[in-house]
Amino acid sequence: MKVLKFGAVWCSGCLIMKPRWQEIEKENPWLKTEYYDFDKDKEVVSKWGIDKDLPTFVFLDKTDKEFLRLHGEIAKEELLKIINENKDK
Amino acid sequence: MKRIFNFILFCILLFSLTISVSFAIDSNNTEKINVYFFWAHGCPHCSAEKVFLDSLEQRYDNIIIHRLEITTNYENVELLKRVGQELGADFGSVPFTVVGKQYFIGWYNEEITGKAIEEAIKCVMENHCPDIVGSLTTPITPAPQQEVGEAIPKNITLPIIGNVETKSVSLPILTILIGALDGFNPCAMWVLLFLITLLFGMKNKKKMWIFGTVFIAASAFVYFMFMAAWLHLFLFIGFVVWIRIAIGLVALWAGYYNLKEYFTNPAGVCKVTGEEKRRRVFDSLKKIIQEKHFLVGLVGLIVLAFAVNMVELICSAGLPVVYTQILAAANLPIWLYYSYLLLYIFIFMLDDLIVFFIAMYTLQLTGISSKYGRASHLIGGAIMLLVGILLILKPEWLMFG
Repeated sequence: MKVLKFGAVWCSGCLIMKPRWQEIEKENPWLKTEYYDFDKDKEVVSKWGIDKDLPTFVFLDKTDKEFLRLHGEIAKEELLKIINENKDK
Repeated sequence: MKRIFNFILFCILLFSLTISVSFAIDSNNTEKINVYFFWAHGCPHCSAEKVFLDSLEQRYDNIIIHRLEITTNYENVELLKRVGQELGADFGSVPFTVVGKQYFIGWYNEEITGKAIEEAIKCVMENHCPDIVGSLTTPITPAPQQEVGEAIPKNITLPIIGNVETKSVSLPILTILIGALDGFNPCAMWVLLFLITLLFGMKNKKKMWIFGTVFIAASAFVYFMFMAAWLHLFLFIGFVVWIRIAIGLVALWAGYYNLKEYFTNPAGVCKVTGEEKRRRVFDSLKKIIQEKHFLVGLVGLIVLAFAVNMVELICSAGLPVVYTQILAAANLPIWLYYSYLLLYIFIFMLDDLIVFFIAMYTLQLTGISSKYGRASHLIGGAIMLLVGILLILKPEWLMFG
């Protein structure tokens, strides 16, 4: 499983989510995550159709197929639950 | 013996003369003097003058105060117009008081306006000046003997605490409540969050602290100046009906906006469109933080704090404007007005200060959540709707003076 994180420096919700993800990544070193800046990584942003809300988190399975997309401020517990439930995907 | 008799006779004569003179004065004073007091619901200066006129009525037996309310009684408005035309006076504002031929527009204080009204009453007593208003209408339309601004009881009895003066409690509570809601408004918080993130990249810890505190202080100063300007505007123009209704509509709009934000915008979501302003601010902040010359950077930060806060005032959705309108109606001494403004600013900045200090000590932005911002939208929206309705329909409920 892989999580694509889309954010921007000017987005307060992204600032809030940043340390939460850092904690999650530290606690789950197996988890693959990639961060993309909305203003810099135009190609990836366009590929995944990020054009409305930030932060956006795209959850991919082993075949890089999207199975979940979340927006905004998400509680750490909720993220952990999703990650653990889909660990083997 | 004869001398004693003559002395007693003299005393009796003198006594009876004194009595007859005093009777003469009394008979003069029993001539009723009419004081015409044109006032409006929700007008703080009218409330202040009303207190004075009540005391005047108790001191003088022979004055009749005609309280002529103009927002609910059209006949009184017509009378005010005719009186104004007769006296050649500008009758566009209240309180408007007429005693004999003299008239008084507005109310300053007991020492100035109050004294002048009392002098006019004495003048009428002594000189029997004609009653201009009395000659224009007979009988005068009696104003309902409604207490101005006393829809809320002056005192309430609470369990354990006992008797509490509502005036001394309601305004501080309202100040703290609106200040806190305004402070949690995400519009006011996001710039600080960006600044903190940028400060984390600094190696000089002293510079981090100075930049952060200067930014918060400059923001507080801008907000204070802005609120003081609104307050003075409202004090200057008074609690005029159409201004009150306009502010009421602003409050209703703010209530709608906040509730809409709560129900339609999920927590922490930033809209990609319409964020150019934030991008520009962030770029400016970045340049300032990276500035090699400390003083240039500091001045730049102050300028940016001014600019950002001026722009964000629109985003605050009317909370400070509505609050200053309520404050202006409280009819307080000027130092107390400023004390309330300072309390509001302190509460408003408190969450910023807490976030900043925690971030500086822990060097991370953990624990920060937009859920407070969302709660602020919900509670703030509900309060603004209520305040808006009261400003339009029951303004006296919002008068704490």
